[in-house]
Amino acid sequence: MPTLETEVLVVGGGSTGAGVARDAAMRGFATILVERGDLATGTTGRFHGLLHSGGRYAVKDPVAARECVVENPILRRTAADCIEDTGGLFVSTRWDDPGFGDDFLRGCQATGIPVEEVPVAEVLRREPRLDQGITRAFAVPDANLDPWKLVSACTRSATEYGARILPYHRVLGLEVSDDKVVGARVHNEVAGDELEIRAELVINAAGAWAGQIANLAGCVVTVLPGKGIMIAMNHRLVNTVINRCKPPSDGDIIVPIRTVSVIGTTDVRVADPDELEVTPGEIDEMLDEGEKLVPGFREARALRVWAGARPLYTPDDVTDTRDVSRTHTVLDHAKRDGVEGFITITGGKTTTFRLMAEHAVDTACEKLGVNRRCRTHEEPLPGSEEERFYWLGARVRAQEPVPNSEEIICECELITRRQLTEAIARGRPAGLDDVRRRVRLAMGPCQGGFCIYRATGILHEFEHLDHQAANSALLDFLQERWKGVQPILHGDQLRQARLDDWIFQGLLAVEHLPE
Amino acid sequence: MTDARPRLADVGYDTVVIGAGLAGLTAALRLAEAGQRVAILAKGVGATHLAPPTIDVLGYANGPVDSPAQALPEFAAANPEHPYRQLSIELVRASLDWFKARLGDHGYRGGLDENFFVPTALGVAKPTALLPETMAAGDLREGGRFVFVGLRGLKDFFPAYLADNVAQTPLPGRASVTTRVVELAPPLGEARDVSSAGFARRFEQPAFRESVLTELRRNLVPGEIVGFPAVLGIGGAREVWRELETRLGHPVFEVPTLPPSVPGIRVYDTMTSALRRQGARLVIGSTVAGAETGNGRLEGVVAHTAGRPLTYRARSFVLATGGFASAGLELDSSGTVREPVFDLPVAGLPGQNAPLFEPGYFDEHALSRAGVAVDESRRPVDDEGAPVYENLHAAGATLAGAVPWREASGNGLSLASGYAAASAILEVIS
Ligand SMILES: Cc1cc2nc3c(=O)[nH]c(=O)nc-3n(C[C@H](O)[C@H](O)[C@H](O)COP(=O)(O)OP(=O)(O)OC[C@H]3O[C@@H](n4cnc5c(N)ncnc54)[C@H](O)[C@@H]3O)c2cc1C
Ligand SMILES: Cc1cc2nc3c(=O)[nH]c(=O)nc-3n(C[C@H](O)[C@H](O)[C@H](O)COP(=O)(O)OP(=O)(O)OC[C@H]3O[C@@H](n4cnc5c(N)ncnc54)[C@H](O)[C@@H]3O)c2cc1C
Repeated sequence: MPTLETEVLVVGGGSTGAGVARDAAMRGFATILVERGDLATGTTGRFHGLLHSGGRYAVKDPVAARECVVENPILRRTAADCIEDTGGLFVSTRWDDPGFGDDFLRGCQATGIPVEEVPVAEVLRREPRLDQGITRAFAVPDANLDPWKLVSACTRSATEYGARILPYHRVLGLEVSDDKVVGARVHNEVAGDELEIRAELVINAAGAWAGQIANLAGCVVTVLPGKGIMIAMNHRLVNTVINRCKPPSDGDIIVPIRTVSVIGTTDVRVADPDELEVTPGEIDEMLDEGEKLVPGFREARALRVWAGARPLYTPDDVTDTRDVSRTHTVLDHAKRDGVEGFITITGGKTTTFRLMAEHAVDTACEKLGVNRRCRTHEEPLPGSEEERFYWLGARVRAQEPVPNSEEIICECELITRRQLTEAIARGRPAGLDDVRRRVRLAMGPCQGGFCIYRATGILHEFEHLDHQAANSALLDFLQERWKGVQPILHGDQLRQARLDDWIFQGLLAVEHLPE
Repeated sequence: MTDARPRLADVGYDTVVIGAGLAGLTAALRLAEAGQRVAILAKGVGATHLAPPTIDVLGYANGPVDSPAQALPEFAAANPEHPYRQLSIELVRASLDWFKARLGDHGYRGGLDENFFVPTALGVAKPTALLPETMAAGDLREGGRFVFVGLRGLKDFFPAYLADNVAQTPLPGRASVTTRVVELAPPLGEARDVSSAGFARRFEQPAFRESVLTELRRNLVPGEIVGFPAVLGIGGAREVWRELETRLGHPVFEVPTLPPSVPGIRVYDTMTSALRRQGARLVIGSTVAGAETGNGRLEGVVAHTAGRPLTYRARSFVLATGGFASAGLELDSSGTVREPVFDLPVAGLPGQNAPLFEPGYFDEHALSRAGVAVDESRRPVDDEGAPVYENLHAAGATLAGAVPWREASGNGLSLASGYAAASAILEVIS
């Protein structure tokens, strides 16, 4: 079996693992990261997209709130390119207890969240689609955060500091010898072969799967996957992150992201983070809640629905996952279970991913007997050196200097042929679904009706695929897309889906592609 | 205050057709040819501008269909709710002959007895009953050496991918196919990214054709058959295609691209000029919502154009508003399917609370066959099978019972049912 050697092996390529790999590499450790799929295909690529101000936790979870207060400005400085500074509002609607506003204000003040009450009339001027019956509103520094850009910038930086990033490498087993984890047995999901990675320290950053990884070393870590669903609606119905001013519950946040608005979310304890089903009842509830914030919400086009699993570490048995603190935990398995060379970092949220990484690598330093300072709060990520936020017009503007100079492959999201080929080259082999995530292909209103055919053609050409590989990329993609749109098909979205049926099944006859 | 009541359109019509897709155009043209005063009211153009110009009657029924005439009886028997169950083979055949004659300039070929197998833009050999002469040389059944031409700047056509798939096509007997690709970089001026319609306009310019011919000629080997994306001109397509064939000395054919469909626009243009010649009125940009009724009859329909609503009175009406793709049918967020113009009963739905969609994209979805059910005279019926209005007829993708995008039966059904609706109206009158 081929063998690699390293100091630190990171398991998991979500925001946590990518952050840990970057921090470890910046502190001079030889580092390898393995991820079973493409980067950010776990919870990170399926989250709600909110850079928390802390407001959501102000009343009930002050520890988590304070972490957000610290990390929010750090990310605005070091990850500006991944953030759109929309600002956030907490609004009391007709359905909410008006008294909660005072608790909220007090909570913000106690935890240090910058907050300002805004007159309702002004809020309605800024966000005219909001329900006219809102009674109070508070502005906080929420923003949106692009998870793919974030993970990709972290891994790029890690690579620049010498780390190796291995997507499509699944950990099958951990090698334990004399109560010490000495490495991992890893399956290359693409080539189909196995390799061994020997490491002085393994950091388990597998999110909702962290329990499964810990098990491989004989440690019992209870991570309760808390399922949450989100629905992307056509149009930016609002331009600010809108939160209901009430104790956290289902469907109470709308996040504007590029050309769409995403409503979420729920929290249901599930057995397996790989089995996340979305029920019609959940969708209905989401749309009902949306209606309370933005009347006519149901009439907007629902584009896509998806679900993610929160990694909620639970020391004891807890039944309502919403009662688990949203802060994170670093477990040194030597102290906890008598197993050396093994750390688990889990819980938390993407907003605090940097802090989580810092704590995990601090523990790593301690265990490896070195003292090296963390610098991730100072050094901007690649692409964010100028501390300029991403803004909605950025893609249009990037096109402007030479009009018509480049073929646009996706009209909804303004993606060019060059961006597409760069995305393909960023991690080989790329499936269409990977490319979709990397450049947000087919995430706009037409759901890939046009660009998916084009992207398949480009993938075939650029990667020299044979007909079978290209055809199966296309068919897999159609199935994946169907999974996302099927539960919410109605109205104009069904109309679009039927047009796409006519294009793919009618005009192109995809079902009859040769073997 | 302005008066919001609908005004009455100046004249009464014999028939008002709602929808300007292939079904509506067919019904309207037949009626106008028979001497009727006809108005077509349509929200916009129909699927002609998106779909290939082929008339697919039945392409797939447990695998590819070689002969629609032979396959249809069994197909109709196996699908009792299918529109083909009510449309006789003779009628389908008559509608094809009628269409070929009306589109004389396009040199349509084929019929009900044999399907052609022509490549799609993905390189699938797709069965179809009728095709325009600009597509005929693409028939793969006899095999041959095919060259697919790429045009730099046309992002909706990937000849290399297409050619790879065509080369794998299983063919009957000893026929064999070989494929290769020639990429051309014709002059596009400033633009890098040109739509299919943009290329079609360029192909109508002699200088552009010249540059294509010059570049292509030195790349061909005798005996090769040359496939272009379907962008060989709009109004002048026939001349463009002929010139390419003669001056190259090779058979030339078009492969339909993604929307917009240049050859589909040609069909629309030919049919609407014929309609105008027959004195029919075509109002594009008017949405029909609402009706005036009395004694089980439809007296008029209310059309919303810019400005005030307008009532159109007629003796007969044809509903040809298409399926879900053109909002001829709608599904709301509570799971209810509606026919939005007349609120007609919708057939072909699963029982209460049964799922409308399955998890697999290629599964059979319960919603697919939803639509309006009709009687022998092509009139929408209620649950008991009784006509909703004595003088309302329906045609095209609005009808219940088919999954035309999978069966390769879309244009065939629209043509035959539009033709049949006109026949029913003419029968009542005579
Ligand atoms: C519905 C929902 C909404 C959320 N909204 C927000 C929000 O708005 N703002 C916010 O800050 N946070 C939000 N969160 C929380 C945040 O998304 C997560 O805490 C964060 O993404 C977790 O990142 P991670 O890297 O720890 O886990 P993941 O992103 O899940 O990464 C773990 C990775 O490990 C990989 N893995 C698993 N098994 C193996 C194996 N055997 N070998 C190799 N790799 C393996 C997985 O494929 C996965 O990619 C939300 C969470 C949910 C569920
Ligand atoms: C992308 C695409 C690819 C296709 N590929 C094929 C193929 O390969 N082979 C094939 O045989 N068929 C194909 N078809 C199908 C075919 O072209 C037609 O869609 C089908 O035959 C239905 O035609 P129709 O006339 O019933 O409706 P449509 O062509 O959909 O026309 C409906 C008309 O009704 C109008 N309308 C709707 N509501 C109203 C209203 N309330 N008031 C006024 N007007 C209204 C619309 O504006 C439009 O003019 C394809 C269709 C599409 C969209």
